[in-house]
Amino acid sequence: MKRRDFLRVLGILSGSTLLSSCGSRKTKDFVSSVLPPEEGVIPGEAYYSPSTCTECPAGCGLSVKRREGWPIKLEGAPEHPINDGGLCIRGQSSLTRLYHPKRVNAPLRRNGDGKFNAVSWEKALSLVSESLAGSRDAGRKNLFLSGRTTGSLSLLIDAFCGKLGVERLPEFEVYSHSAVAEANGLLFGERDVPHYRIENADFLLTVGADILATHVSPVSYTRKLSRARSGGDFRWFHAEPHLSLTGANADRRFVVLPGREAVLLAYLLRQVLEKGPRRHGLPREVVNALPRYSVENASDQTGIPAEKLADLADRMTKARFPLVIAGGVSTSHRRGLEVAALAGMIQWVTGEIPGLVDFARNEQYGGTGTYHDMEALSARLSKGEAGVLFLSRTNPVFSLPGGFAFRENVRKAKLSVAFGDLLDETVQEADLILPLSHSLESWGDVEPRRGVVSLVRPVLGSLHDTLSEGDILLRLMGAVSGEGPATGYREYLFAEWTKRFGEKGKDALIRDGFVEESLPEKRVTLNGGKAAAFLKGAAAEGGEPKAPVLVLAPSLRTFDGRSRGLPLLSEVPDPLTTISYGRWLSVSPGTAKALGVKDTEEATVSSGDWSQVLPMKIQPGLAEGVFVAGRDFVDSPPLRTEERTGEATWYLEGIRIEKSGKVAAIPVLSGSPSQQGRGLIPDPSHKDEKHHHGTESLYPEHEHKEYRWAMAIDLALCNGCSACVAACYIENNVPVVGKKDHLKGREMSWLRIEPFYGEAGNVDFLPMLCQQCHSAPCETVCPVYAAYHNPEGLNVQVYNRCVGTRYCSNNCPYKVRRFNWFWHLWKKPLDRMLNPDLEVRAAGVMEKCTFCVQRIRAAKDKAKDDSRKVRDGEVTTACAQSCPTGAITFGNLLDTKSKVYRLAHLARAYRVFEGLGTNPSVYYLGGAKGGPEREGHG
Amino acid sequence: MTRSVRKPAILLAVTAYFGVLLLIAAGLWVSWQRAGIAPDQPIAFPHTIHVSQLNLPCNFCHIFVDRSRHAGAPSLSTCMSCHRAIATDREEIKKLTRHYEEKRPVEWNRVYYLPDHVYFSHKRHVKAGVDCSECHGKVGAMKKIRRVGTLTMGWCVSCHRARGAPLDCTTCHK
Repeated sequence: MKRRDFLRVLGILSGSTLLSSCGSRKTKDFVSSVLPPEEGVIPGEAYYSPSTCTECPAGCGLSVKRREGWPIKLEGAPEHPINDGGLCIRGQSSLTRLYHPKRVNAPLRRNGDGKFNAVSWEKALSLVSESLAGSRDAGRKNLFLSGRTTGSLSLLIDAFCGKLGVERLPEFEVYSHSAVAEANGLLFGERDVPHYRIENADFLLTVGADILATHVSPVSYTRKLSRARSGGDFRWFHAEPHLSLTGANADRRFVVLPGREAVLLAYLLRQVLEKGPRRHGLPREVVNALPRYSVENASDQTGIPAEKLADLADRMTKARFPLVIAGGVSTSHRRGLEVAALAGMIQWVTGEIPGLVDFARNEQYGGTGTYHDMEALSARLSKGEAGVLFLSRTNPVFSLPGGFAFRENVRKAKLSVAFGDLLDETVQEADLILPLSHSLESWGDVEPRRGVVSLVRPVLGSLHDTLSEGDILLRLMGAVSGEGPATGYREYLFAEWTKRFGEKGKDALIRDGFVEESLPEKRVTLNGGKAAAFLKGAAAEGGEPKAPVLVLAPSLRTFDGRSRGLPLLSEVPDPLTTISYGRWLSVSPGTAKALGVKDTEEATVSSGDWSQVLPMKIQPGLAEGVFVAGRDFVDSPPLRTEERTGEATWYLEGIRIEKSGKVAAIPVLSGSPSQQGRGLIPDPSHKDEKHHHGTESLYPEHEHKEYRWAMAIDLALCNGCSACVAACYIENNVPVVGKKDHLKGREMSWLRIEPFYGEAGNVDFLPMLCQQCHSAPCETVCPVYAAYHNPEGLNVQVYNRCVGTRYCSNNCPYKVRRFNWFWHLWKKPLDRMLNPDLEVRAAGVMEKCTFCVQRIRAAKDKAKDDSRKVRDGEVTTACAQSCPTGAITFGNLLDTKSKVYRLAHLARAYRVFEGLGTNPSVYYLGGAKGGPEREGHG
Repeated sequence: MTRSVRKPAILLAVTAYFGVLLLIAAGLWVSWQRAGIAPDQPIAFPHTIHVSQLNLPCNFCHIFVDRSRHAGAPSLSTCMSCHRAIATDREEIKKLTRHYEEKRPVEWNRVYYLPDHVYFSHKRHVKAGVDCSECHGKVGAMKKIRRVGTLTMGWCVSCHRARGAPLDCTTCHK
């Protein structure tokens, strides 16, 4: 470059930099509203309202954090009968559904050339009511298909269908749990999924059920498990053909050959019959029909080593209150009904039925249909029987296997009307889209467990021209009768609540967010005749999927695919593989070697005519010849329906894998699946003495007068569910940067879950965040004192002082500092969920975990009002608040009575890289899950 | 062109360049002080009448000043509780009534504003016994509100020093 050019460029650059800072900074946020804020609401202070999460069917209670009316964060409602304060990763992220930039914001009607035009609600509803009448006259059937619906909305749909002559179809859920429900119907006459009271058990065997991540009510189960484990004398064994988050956390995990779970359970049933605990007997005819397995025989069939099988049987027969939960991938194959039925029989024999398996409070899956119902619907649609087809909160076009040809069939309805919020596959196929309000914009209730009614209430007016489903149905009823809607849905609900709970109960529901009705205990008895007849016609073996097998597993981050549209759920990586964006196929290290595939190399998976290209991820802990993919990673797989239960078989058998040699660009965020001998999680837990050199500090000791904030993380409790990561993103305005940046290693998460695999394939999770070191390597290298140590023991990063040298990040041994390479924008209206207590960091600035300094500040502010110090438990970080297992404790280390002080002084407390002399404030409690007995797979 | 002619020209150009930069920087510095600004408001609300003549305390209207970080502007219903009957013929009151009847909030032009990275709580300052006038001046004498303090960091810190208030960065920086 010539000198002249240099000067020219310098001039332009420096001039424009100066001028760019000359903008107007006037904001219009000092406003006189027309009316004063409602009672108890103070501008500038956060407040909370109760509501219910509707992201999945579990129905967890919410405590919605609001500022100036806007919801800015979702937290689990304390004391709620379902989730008791916890909230999962999907629940945390469901706030981004409310503010999603791509929400359908007005009714849309498909025009002649297949595009959508916005229409008014009046026009849309009159079109529906005309079509309803037209179809009836033409002899067509009007049909209503929805996802699982409980509570008052279900009653209203019944009323709607009855009044308008619409046929209500059985509800469609991808995970209908129909094998479990069917088995319970057969054995006990209760066709439903019962409420498992894990907290009352002293031994738990889960078979295939991913109870920590996706099965029925994961947060509820997680809380119960924590309670059971805190009792001390509790053992949890898990058997599964693949590797799930649940398997990774069990005290002991068995890898069972795909489709052979029934053999395992038949063996165990025989064992408990012979050795106890026996509270009920089985009729002789049932015992005679029960297949007989020796331990060697069962071991051969299931692939579980004989001595481990014998040990499992021994544990189970010695337990006083054993509980068996079968479900998920283990009940969705050809022997699924046997698996569920044998699990039910074991429970019957070992007794304690209402105490452990509560049918009075079942999980309300009785009304959910099966894949047989969907087959029948497909057949009717393809014959052109349907007039108006309502599709509400369900996505069968995406979820149903390829053989259903549901996409084509939906088009054969005279008028398909979809209720939805995002343009998913089914909504896009509809002729008319009626946009639904988010649950935070509407009134409603859900009854996820019988007798537990949880309130859905609006915390803000509708952001767009949308209506709640109840209002749509009431208006439609009004439009058809020509009288207009009798009431709004709110009035309808209030009347229903008063009818069911009385005036006082209704007020309690609105105030507390839930009502728990007392229900009489339900005693069930085994129907011996039916059980024997079933066992005679059934077989524990035969018909298992042909190897190699692809298991399609439910996904922690997307459930059955319904949460795919939320960007935060792709940004937070999957805890087992640390892959954030994209789809992949997990393969065991041995199989990968045999196939000659490298990590993230692409391969074509095929089964019959169906094939798909997916990158392979080598996954320690998987069995040989078993491949795993998320249910939503494969498009229209050729799945069959199990004849007896109507459950889809989530296995592709006899698959072929052809590697392409191309390496796919998928972001794997973890550096290594192994600890590389660095003792990050010491095992057995002891202070790692050999790395300890004497530490001499060149700097004066920090003084702490009132507070020294510290955190304790119990690794025996942490199950890697990543709820904390999502909570941190939302609490701290951490930007979602996307796949491109992830591939460059520019992810911004302040808190990450690191999975470390042992040689036996066991997994330990290490939540890694800023360790708030006492002698912090980042502080001493900052040339502008942007990183400094404050009197309360925090490593503070002063953003407006930071000039972006990134020295601190280079010097951090924990790799927890994140650099803003760009200005990150929150697409409207997502910017509404920004936490006003923090600034949004600018480009060129380093950021990191602050121990939620804004929460500390708020707590101190409150304490100061009463002229006292912050009490223990009064302040907690976002990650600790969201943790369903209560693994994270935050508090003041100077307070010797605080919980964090007690935990930090336990023998199993250690700090990561203690030998470096960084003196961190984060104490990890080692000691592997399940104590010294924990192993990888059996 | 010979070398001897170019040298002073270059010197002049460089001096002028840096001179202009310095001038812009100085101008910005002055503008950042922002003391003394007094923007026009959508309704010309006279603090003189309400504070000096009627002797209304500040928190009569700014009701959140001792409860929240924001002092808060009064809701229009508060204004109307008096102005439904008082001075209804005045132009500015008619404006206010129109806002109220049309349910249109009044968006005031900010006189005191802080950047995003600063946390400031009115409540803490009021509870510590800092009088409103220490930062906002004699509001009762201002027909139109004019900024008194500079709101620069030095201005904040000098008072914190003098009063022995916390000086840790996280006290104010978020």
